[in-house]
Amino acid sequence: MKTSVKKLVTAVSTSVALMAAGNAAAEIQIGIAGPMTGPVAQYGDMQFSGARMAIEQINANGGVMGEQLVAVEYDDVCDPKQAVTVANSMVNDGVQFVIGHLCSSSTQPASDIYEDEGILMVTPASTSPDITERGYELVFRTIGLDSMQGPVAANYLASLNPERVAIVHDKQQYGEGIATAVRDTLEAKGVEIAMFEGITAGDKDFSSLVTKMKQADVDFVYYGGYHPELGLILRQAGQAGLDARFMGPEGVGNKDINTIAGEAAEGLLVTLPPSFDQKAENQALVKAFQDKGEDPSGPFVLTSYAAVQLVVDGIKQAESTDPFEVAQALRSGSFETPIGTVQYDEAGDLQSFEFVVYEWHSDGSKTPVN
Amino acid sequence: MQDLLYFFQQLINGLTIGSTYALIAIGYTMVYGIIGMINFAHGEIYMIGAYTALIAITGLATLGIAWLPLVLLVALVCAMIVSSSMGWAVERVAYRPVRGRHRLIPLISAIGMSIFLQNYVHLAQGSRNIGFPSLIQGGFTFGSEGSFQMSLSYMQITIFITTLICMTALSLFISRSRIGRACRAVSQDLGMANLLGIDTNRIISATFVIGAALAAVAGLLLGMYYGSIDPLFGFIAGLKAFTAAVLGGIGSIPGAMLGGLILGVAESMTSGYLSGEYKDVVSFGLLILILLFKPTGLLGKPEVEKI
Repeated sequence: MKTSVKKLVTAVSTSVALMAAGNAAAEIQIGIAGPMTGPVAQYGDMQFSGARMAIEQINANGGVMGEQLVAVEYDDVCDPKQAVTVANSMVNDGVQFVIGHLCSSSTQPASDIYEDEGILMVTPASTSPDITERGYELVFRTIGLDSMQGPVAANYLASLNPERVAIVHDKQQYGEGIATAVRDTLEAKGVEIAMFEGITAGDKDFSSLVTKMKQADVDFVYYGGYHPELGLILRQAGQAGLDARFMGPEGVGNKDINTIAGEAAEGLLVTLPPSFDQKAENQALVKAFQDKGEDPSGPFVLTSYAAVQLVVDGIKQAESTDPFEVAQALRSGSFETPIGTVQYDEAGDLQSFEFVVYEWHSDGSKTPVN
Repeated sequence: MQDLLYFFQQLINGLTIGSTYALIAIGYTMVYGIIGMINFAHGEIYMIGAYTALIAITGLATLGIAWLPLVLLVALVCAMIVSSSMGWAVERVAYRPVRGRHRLIPLISAIGMSIFLQNYVHLAQGSRNIGFPSLIQGGFTFGSEGSFQMSLSYMQITIFITTLICMTALSLFISRSRIGRACRAVSQDLGMANLLGIDTNRIISATFVIGAALAAVAGLLLGMYYGSIDPLFGFIAGLKAFTAAVLGGIGSIPGAMLGGLILGVAESMTSGYLSGEYKDVVSFGLLILILLFKPTGLLGKPEVEKI
């Protein structure tokens, strides 16, 4: 209760600060939209902490074109309906640059509004290919696509010579998308897919599903979705004595899966963006996060940092804060960021992005396997 | 043989989840039976029960107490006390002041209460999923090594037995005790019961308290069975339990039990033989069918218009 009071006080004081800052003359608003509450709020924490750090550091270095950046934060709960509301408030608040959203199913509907209203958007976490497939001019990302991540997962999975694979997804854009990508690659490699099935996000009872996987005698399970459901599937599978290895995308890779699944999380395979915080050139930045008491190792911390930095670099290069000119500059340039050298293709996707397979441990740590 | 084991496994899965639906459904059905309103905040009472149980278990663990029966008993008692007082308070604060008005008003008040409680837990406990320790582990397995093995966990057995005890106790209470008799009288005719000297306000409060206590039992059991809780999980469970109550005939206690079991088995059989994607389609489809062909539910009495 004490912390929540503290949070409230900080929230009030930040909003007062924001209002005060609103009166200052020269500033550029950076909207950050992601889940602050709800079942996947921990990914939002990563996103906000990365973006805030970038804004702080850029402001400390004099801002951009003599103007300071101001963070305006919005909670979309990773709910597509809420994301649309958030996008409309961005329009009302006159925000021109958005870092977000996080979940693909939120990013998709919000990006329609941003594109129509001339707002530049960089998502640090949404991997669904559909987002950049519509020929939008103002949509970018600092993360790879499921069409890259799926094959990485499937190739690793195939190299383990599984006999019968079950693929389960949560019927959401992200989960089903990546599960389909994995299935297609596995089928092309001649691996037997014993079942391909959806579950309902938010469900708690997976005993029937686990029984079915036992009956189908699968030795490998790929799950497309987020950690709250996979954690429960792992745990219930462990209790029912299902002897299979599990794998999931970056949406399952955070420490909360350990509090849900406990021992059953040991040996889980996860595809994640590479650990940017381990790179030698990022150590100064990592230290800055640690000095603030924040953990830079989450998959979306540095991608969010890079997203802010790219917006700023784009503004510098275009010498304008017009989102269309900034987008033009982003497409034509090459930028040094904590996630490496960034070059965009026409669609707004990174020209290259690598996913790495990690083995997850029951203490929340991970080790790379390939 | 293997197919038969698979069938029984899905049946056990369904009965387990169904019996907890039934425990929650009692709260809906009793309240409806007595004051004719649907208490949409009941799912939240169940969720608060689960949180209280978890807090009690964690508290005992920090004190170094690990004797399982004691831990379970303390968790159960704490959850029942907190949930019951919550149920009582919700009725006093949100329903009693608007009782007797148009039917929609208490309904809206209930939905508001549900949103309030959900957000209160969000604020107080955080919105993340919290792991719930599996205190009861292990179980029996049937079937030969190497092929499909049916498992019946001690946890599932605990759920069956607890539900059975609660339901029997409740039936005895309603049919034998003074308050139970008063409950039945109030449900038949509130005004008349009042005239005959029954303190109807007390009886209505008692209904909320009993319903909430049973929901707390379900909260503890399901928390341990599934292994994680979050502030939103009362909503879905409440919706399912409400469906179970309507299925069995809202206002009827045996109906709630039957409805819960049917719903649980229908869900697990759909997941088991069709696909998990159709689970909710089948359970809510079943509800629509029942409402179309037997609007009073399986065991509900046809409503006679009182003149």
